[in-house]
Amino acid sequence: MGLTVKQRGQNVATFRFVEVRIMEILSAWVPTTPEMEAKLLLGAHIWDTAQAADALGKRTYELRLPLQHSLTPVVGYLELLDDLAAAEGAARRIAAFYDVVLPGLAARYRRYLAQTDALMDAPTVRVIERILETGIRMAREANELRAEMPALKLGDTEWLARLAERERNVAELVVEPEAAAA
Amino acid sequence: MAGPTISVRGVQLRADPAREACFKVVHLYSELWRTVDMSAESQREKLHREYNTEVQGMEIAAQSLAEFPDAPWDLRMEMARQCWDESRHARLYLQRLREKGGYKGEFPIANHEWTTTCVFETLVARLAIQNRTFESGSMDSMRKAIKVWNDAGDAETAEITDAILADEVQHVRYANQWINRLGREDPKVVLQVAATMARLRQMSAALRPQPGDISVNGVDLVATPHVSVRANVEDREHAEFSGAEITAVVKRQEAEEADRFAITRLERVR
Repeated sequence: MGLTVKQRGQNVATFRFVEVRIMEILSAWVPTTPEMEAKLLLGAHIWDTAQAADALGKRTYELRLPLQHSLTPVVGYLELLDDLAAAEGAARRIAAFYDVVLPGLAARYRRYLAQTDALMDAPTVRVIERILETGIRMAREANELRAEMPALKLGDTEWLARLAERERNVAELVVEPEAAAA
Repeated sequence: MAGPTISVRGVQLRADPAREACFKVVHLYSELWRTVDMSAESQREKLHREYNTEVQGMEIAAQSLAEFPDAPWDLRMEMARQCWDESRHARLYLQRLREKGGYKGEFPIANHEWTTTCVFETLVARLAIQNRTFESGSMDSMRKAIKVWNDAGDAETAEITDAILADEVQHVRYANQWINRLGREDPKVVLQVAATMARLRQMSAALRPQPGDISVNGVDLVATPHVSVRANVEDREHAEFSGAEITAVVKRQEAEEADRFAITRLERVR
């Protein structure tokens, strides 16, 4: 049994929240990151995350939710996003986003694809497939930049490993359906 | 809401965005290079300045995305798209700068657009200043720049400038559309824009070069006439300025040009 319409809506609206929050985090980083090349990378990816949020927000309307509707994810993931936002320094910011949050989110999207019915929920599947494809390009661009500018590679891998562990420890993004409906 | 500020000639401005140590960041025109010809060095300075201007355009749009989370979603989408556009423009100018032997930090930079725009605390004020005023002014100067680069035998930079100009039209257009829309929904917005423009004029008057100010390359900033720039009527129409607004800009520029002509005549008589 795949997901119900309500569950699909909850997932899509929660993914939208995350994409909007990431867009805002990248936006806040742009003026506060000194390295111009890093700044330009983040600036370009603001548009990618905005498009992801927009596509998800159009889909919420088709799933009996308001247009561009967002649902707050579980507290553990909210805290992770807050810590991402608080990261200082270009190398740490790039590593936290492109090496932890972005692949972690991609894994969550893939889990959703595995759970939902590909035919009944085909419009969501298409949206997510495009987001995954875009994420691969974003990660590639970040890696190319770090290859070109080694100073943007993070030395503190312990910090990154702890962040990755915290990301993995958040099993589900969606707040329990009962709680979400309350 | 506005973050840390600085004071320049008694004008409160937003503190500069982050820049690498290779850049010398200044706040007065007299601390900048003033281009008066198309020598190789002047060409590099123009590209270096445009590079930093595009970065500021991206930073201002990004800062507004971060600071105004309750703005209408469709407007946020426009600002997000602008971030990408300005990022690409900055890359194009930096690439061209490097092709001409230049490098980041070769010339002093000023972040006038950021420091002026981001001291304002409402989104509509920032759109009125950055998109509707500064970027529409850029539309005029970029139209002129296309000819200047072509005349200097650099068709490639002229083409880059034209491509960037086409993108800038949309940045001005969406600001016009949203300011008009928000003004229809709430007449206070119209008053807010008028007050913003009045404050901007005061700030510009205080910051503009004063008699005796000399640029770092030795140009008298008041005595040396600026190259005249005509209103880019076609692109202003594309950007959805009204006929009356375009006429007002054209008349103001004609009056400024007449003033300059009269001053030049007077100096010759003396």
